[in-house]
Amino acid sequence: MAIVNLQNVTYQYPLTSSPALRDVSLQINEGEFVAVVGPNGAGKSTLCYTLAGFVPHFFKGELTGTVEVAGSETHSSTLNEWVMNVGLAFQNPFNQISGAKYTVFEEIAFGLENIGVPRDEMISRVEDAMKLTDISDLADRSPYSLSGGQQQRVALTSILVMQPKVLVLDEPTSQMDPIGTREVFGVIRKMAEQGMTVILVEHKVEWIAQFADRVIALKDGEVLLEGTPGEVLTSPLVEESGFGISRYTSVARKAQKLALWKKHKLPVTLDEATEGFAHPLTPNPSPERRGEQ
Amino acid sequence: MHERLSFYAKRDSLLHRLNPLTKLTLVFGFVLISFLTPFYWTPHLLILFGVIPLSFLGKVAREYFNTSLRLILPAAGFLFIMQALFQPLEGRELFRIWFLHPTEESVMYAFGNAMRIFVMVSSFTLFLLTTHPSELMSDLSRRGLPGQFAYVVISTLQILPQMQAKAQTIIAAQRSRGLDTESSFLRRASSLIPLVGPLVFGSLVEVEERAIAIEARGFTSTRVKTSLHAIPDTNSDRLIRWALILLILISLAVRLWLS
Repeated sequence: MAIVNLQNVTYQYPLTSSPALRDVSLQINEGEFVAVVGPNGAGKSTLCYTLAGFVPHFFKGELTGTVEVAGSETHSSTLNEWVMNVGLAFQNPFNQISGAKYTVFEEIAFGLENIGVPRDEMISRVEDAMKLTDISDLADRSPYSLSGGQQQRVALTSILVMQPKVLVLDEPTSQMDPIGTREVFGVIRKMAEQGMTVILVEHKVEWIAQFADRVIALKDGEVLLEGTPGEVLTSPLVEESGFGISRYTSVARKAQKLALWKKHKLPVTLDEATEGFAHPLTPNPSPERRGEQ
Repeated sequence: MHERLSFYAKRDSLLHRLNPLTKLTLVFGFVLISFLTPFYWTPHLLILFGVIPLSFLGKVAREYFNTSLRLILPAAGFLFIMQALFQPLEGRELFRIWFLHPTEESVMYAFGNAMRIFVMVSSFTLFLLTTHPSELMSDLSRRGLPGQFAYVVISTLQILPQMQAKAQTIIAAQRSRGLDTESSFLRRASSLIPLVGPLVFGSLVEVEERAIAIEARGFTSTRVKTSLHAIPDTNSDRLIRWALILLILISLAVRLWLS
């Protein structure tokens, strides 16, 4: 069942001359993990804001088409109600810290205070969420004294604790170092495994290839391609646009030209690449084997 | 650069456990009474038998003397000297230098005023030392203070050190490209100008992101907010508050009656 449904969505920011999203139609099923790739200015962030209700409620501007999440429609809803359905986290962890709280525990409780959750329930929900994202040991620290990866996990926990139906993440690891990236992806993956619907905008193709059920490639505000990671991330269309290429695909493509890669399909993960080089004539590994690295 | 811009000293004391509103009433009570009552000795007595014993009760006496003396001595001292020298009050002349001739009356008057300032600043210091800002704000928002107002107060306290740190980074970056920050005062002042752009515009961009981030957490939700901290408001809290309000009214009445 589609929990997110976009029909012919076109949106233009105020004071701009061309639309940021053009005629975008998408269906995302409950529990699906969808990754969005695309070059700068492709409309990835705008798509996130649209899903999270900030377009048009916060940014104003003109939105045509319909945006539906969990049965309610963005035009006939307010931002206040909308944020209960869709959680949004984005790049800069520092700017996602509310600034109104002195400890991580209070910071995570901030959203629950705002929506009027009773105190006992609040405490247990915060504790549970912190356990889930493995930051219980940070509870009494100041949110400002944390590393980038820790701050981003606090920001994610602050959204998760509100129990949204859909999680929208706009390049959550773009300002992280490798350790921070791994920490944050660990949390995202756990969310996906628990059946949360996740929509992730991300440049780090190797991670997407491992975890995502489906990849959507955006370009100039339009959906360029849509399919499994194996289909989208190896597509010549994506290669031409110069984004979303994993190093495994690049290597295999080069090898193909030298007749060293014999399979029809190009790899997107380390497993597929090693498999292809080691046993060039057997079929590609099944999708279940992805993600075991 | 992670220090907080707050005086709060964490202790376990009777004063710390009082409801923030009670302490706030206490502060305003002290200030109003010392300004309202026409008796010369009121502020002196309030300091001696009110604020100072309370600082011991709150287990913050050391911090209290430290901060309040540093804050008050320059301000109150300056006020005292100016008023003692320039207040044209008739009375017995103490000495005369050039055109300055302080009288006994003007010195007394100046001392009284300085003491009132002392009451004001030192009771506020005591309040800040024993009340956590977020506790104060959640208590006040529970009583109907708009959430936006509380947010502005607290986030300012938190964000100022962050902005300071950012300013340091920008200065370092500009210095590494040859900006002069170490010669004469005027040169240094003018070298601050290129700092303003990145700092202010950078902060404005951040404001939008932060607005989105807190909105995503239901900041403007129309539901009734709750608070993580259960802030005790006991009967003795209410009793103290009413007693203070009564005292303020009595001081006002005495003032009106005597004048």
